Amino acid sequence: MTDEVRECEVLVVGAGYAGLSAARHLASHGVDVVLVEARDRVGGRVWTETTSSGAVVDHGGQWVGPGQDNLLALAEEFEVATFPTYTTGEGVEIRQGVRRTYAGLIPTSDPAAAAEGIEAIFELDLASQEVPLEAPWNAPEAAAQDEQTLGSWLTAHVQSVPARSMIDAAVKAVFGTEAGEMSLLYALFYLHAGGGLMNLARTTGGAQERRFTGGAQQFALRMAEELGDRIVLSSPVESIDYGDDSVSATLSSPDGPSTVQARRVVVAMPPALAGRLRWSPALPALRDQLSMRAPMGAVSKYHAVYERPFWRDQGLNGQLVADDGALRVTFDDSPPDGSLGILVGFVAGHECRQFEGLSEEERHKVVLDDLMRAFGPEAGAPVELHEQRWCDEPYTRGGPVAVFTPGLLTGCGVALRQPVGPIHWAGTETAVEWCGYIDGALSSGLRAAGEVLAALGR
Amino acid sequence: MATSEEITEAYADWRARCNANDRLRRMLRGWDRVVHLSATDNGAGFTVVVKGQTLAELVEGLVGQPDLVVTATSEDFADMFWGDLNPSEKYMSGEIVLRGSQEDVMRLDAMSMVAFLDQ
Repeated sequence: MTDEVRECEVLVVGAGYAGLSAARHLASHGVDVVLVEARDRVGGRVWTETTSSGAVVDHGGQWVGPGQDNLLALAEEFEVATFPTYTTGEGVEIRQGVRRTYAGLIPTSDPAAAAEGIEAIFELDLASQEVPLEAPWNAPEAAAQDEQTLGSWLTAHVQSVPARSMIDAAVKAVFGTEAGEMSLLYALFYLHAGGGLMNLARTTGGAQERRFTGGAQQFALRMAEELGDRIVLSSPVESIDYGDDSVSATLSSPDGPSTVQARRVVVAMPPALAGRLRWSPALPALRDQLSMRAPMGAVSKYHAVYERPFWRDQGLNGQLVADDGALRVTFDDSPPDGSLGILVGFVAGHECRQFEGLSEEERHKVVLDDLMRAFGPEAGAPVELHEQRWCDEPYTRGGPVAVFTPGLLTGCGVALRQPVGPIHWAGTETAVEWCGYIDGALSSGLRAAGEVLAALGR
Repeated sequence: MATSEEITEAYADWRARCNANDRLRRMLRGWDRVVHLSATDNGAGFTVVVKGQTLAELVEGLVGQPDLVVTATSEDFADMFWGDLNPSEKYMSGEIVLRGSQEDVMRLDAMSMVAFLDQ
């Protein structure tokens, strides 16, 4: 078998937003770049589908909020309109089996618990400001914060059960994982990078403020269009051999294996995916230790499409916060003109993994039961129900973002962005602002591309 | 529309409750700030000074260089200080707008919610 060999100056691995932004930046500087992608599509953790009923469904990242300047700049450049997430009316709270509605950001049926919850979020957000974004391991209390989990901190600081379950629901929705699975230091860094938990949980004024007309993947498609045949799809990288100033990557493409040779490579993948490539020589131990300590979160996303947003008639805004069940958080995800009704919900952390044992029919029944419990019988009969299980995606392995376990940042954090010879690291996990978000992916690609340009003397 | 006298009276009530609230006092640690309140409907302006974990009396007019600017209708200011209005509901609808550094906005946001909840 003869391998096809393609030569270029810079290879970028992974056509999510990080890889696309790196490749685009390099190409704009006249660098001969090749961007390889395992899937048959670009966008990575961002994927928009238009369904048979005409619904625009974002299976992955979808929102944009104030301060996400890289993403907002793309929207402006590509002239894509945004529209506000629907927030008129009240949210639904389900606590200890009782359904109530609430106005504003958080359920207030138990005011003392809500106040305690707010104070805890406030303390986290305040502490997060002390964590340096470029070097979280230099935080004043880094050692103590990195040997405990966010969960253990909450256990020590939040006494009331309703307050804790409110925060847990927010944590699951934001991180796609349980508070007890991630380092407190990492959680604080992540909160700082996104303006705090309050900001990350918010619609208006926060990370879920607006959506894109036509969905969030279109920027990826537009960038891919520009890059043209520099992009190679359906070609997972199997191995990377590297020297001081050269890399050679073996791809398994539909037509058989092929090789891309380059002077430098930008690896735009989450650490858990980068770590399983066959590296020759082996990556430095610190980098390898990092890869092994950064599993992906566990999240599935559900879209229930209805003929109309019927919950709005009941004065509801489509938001749910629940302390049990599979679906703990939902939002109104209807098109801007309300011509269809769409609820989007997350099944995350333990619930997401427990779902692995159920059939599709069983999972859908659980989700619809949860929706009916919150929004009434009409919610049980959607026109369409879409399920996106990120843990089943071999080229993401979970989501929405990597979870840094205790000890990672203080032990091997310095390896997060540090180039290894000709290897540069991108991906939203390496971002210092909006880590875990599309915006962070974009900025990480630009940062890595900048490193490459400097290394090439351009 | 609420008159300046009404807002001043409501604020005095809110201030007394806030300054007597241990949770709020904790949340105000290390946060000495000047906050301007700007009414959208009648153009009235007020200044709140936070110092030493204590809210000072309301000052009429926009005095000094503000760290934070809160914009709302005069009615909403009065209702919020009387504790009749859930501020997070008004932030969500965009009817109350906070302008300042990210940290300052977060601080005021959280403390105003606690003031509403803990009454």
